[in-house]
Amino acid sequence: MRATATSNGSAPPAHRVVLTGFGVFSSIGVGAAEFAEGLRAGRSGAKPITRFETEGFAHANGCEVVGFEPDRWIRNLDIDELGPATRFSVAAARMAIDHAGLDETYLRERRGLISIGTTDGESHDLDRLVETEINHGPEKMDPVVARRVAPSRLATSVAHELRLHDVEAVTIPTACAAGNYAIGYGFDAVRTGEVEFALCGGADAMCRKTFAGFYRLGTIAPDHCRPFDKDRKGILTGEGAGVLVLETLESAVRRGATIYAEILGYGLNCDAAHPVAPNQSSIARCMELALENAGVKPDQVDLVSAHGTGTKANDVTETRAVRDVYGSEPPRTVSLKSMLGHSMGAASALAAIACALAITNDFVPPTINHRETDPECEIDCVPNEAVEAQLQIVQNNGMAFGGNNAVVILAKYEEQAS
Amino acid sequence: MTTSAENRTAVIKDIVCDILELEEDEVTETSLFKEDHGADSLRAIEILASLEKKFSVVIDQAELGRMVNLKGVEEVVAEAAAKK
Repeated sequence: MRATATSNGSAPPAHRVVLTGFGVFSSIGVGAAEFAEGLRAGRSGAKPITRFETEGFAHANGCEVVGFEPDRWIRNLDIDELGPATRFSVAAARMAIDHAGLDETYLRERRGLISIGTTDGESHDLDRLVETEINHGPEKMDPVVARRVAPSRLATSVAHELRLHDVEAVTIPTACAAGNYAIGYGFDAVRTGEVEFALCGGADAMCRKTFAGFYRLGTIAPDHCRPFDKDRKGILTGEGAGVLVLETLESAVRRGATIYAEILGYGLNCDAAHPVAPNQSSIARCMELALENAGVKPDQVDLVSAHGTGTKANDVTETRAVRDVYGSEPPRTVSLKSMLGHSMGAASALAAIACALAITNDFVPPTINHRETDPECEIDCVPNEAVEAQLQIVQNNGMAFGGNNAVVILAKYEEQAS
Repeated sequence: MTTSAENRTAVIKDIVCDILELEEDEVTETSLFKEDHGADSLRAIEILASLEKKFSVVIDQAELGRMVNLKGVEEVVAEAAAKK
């Protein structure tokens, strides 16, 4: 994908790509409506972790999804055959098509794409299998659990559950930016007319491996995640899924669908500069790539949904990169991870949905748990209270270990293309 | 684990050399892990974690600032062992 594809006259006719449905499982709300309420209220998903034993860790808060009922959403597949992350992705996909007013029969007749991003895949199951192997030997490993650990199933199980035959189903494993990668992949396919619809997003389930890894790196906050705060202490691991329905504008208009927002473009890059440290110039470059691809100038952007992990390194590096692109008066820059924790592969998908809901409902979600902004993070992070605002264009950042960056640009849908 | 001071010094050197992929004669008491041996923050944490395991101690990550060479590491481990 190159910016010239939109600006060069020889490029094939591009479709406009709109968002018509959302599936949301998050620690602050299930479903688009409850999620929007949570974002506006500045709800916190933080509580003591229950998914695995946390004995031996001095502190162990996380952001878990409460009250998940997979059987409400998964009708055709045997739930036991699905790992916890796949349950999230399949349930969120079902919820997204319901929310979009689509049914499986309609989708089955059309060519589509399913792309699901993830950090950990089914690592929770792998944790359990390894534990069994060590304590009781490999012959005691549960074959049902062993069968379901392939991360490709996050996407293929969606196709299986919805009985879709004419789809490409791909799991994208670019860690904490994977949700945006998945949206970008679907955006390309819909925009070029290769497919009529795409179900894109990300999913991850809490797992001990990731919690312990971040804990060892010294990046798990003892209580709450406080992005951009001078006393920030790191992330809280989280979980959930966000799936977005992308379709051509023609398709959405033809079936009279509610259009929540439009996707204008995206940018990706990978610097591979360091295993975990973010790279300022490459993050800035990724934002520029996204803006170019979307045909948007920096002064048109009303809000940045930051990657905003709440670690020392990310927040300084990311806000500096924002200022590199936007100058000395950047748009408001908020961190949804203050509320949701870091839901890993789901993070940028949930954040993209949050951006669309903010555009639809005219508000800026706050950065909660905020006390005093770090003077090294020179942005307005909208501390603690949501702000009413008309938003035209919003940028959603996702940055992952290894220097995998992905930025998506969303806009309010107007009949006249912006 | 009961380890004499000299033995502890040897074990520390062994751990550091293993993680930084160095021969024992390449590192001195005061040569710097980062500047002289190309270590980064992840290697530093690996060293810290290995020491905690080997000596059954807890080392605050704030101590990483002192753990820049063998001398610094030995001091931090000695203090952590004294606190047990």
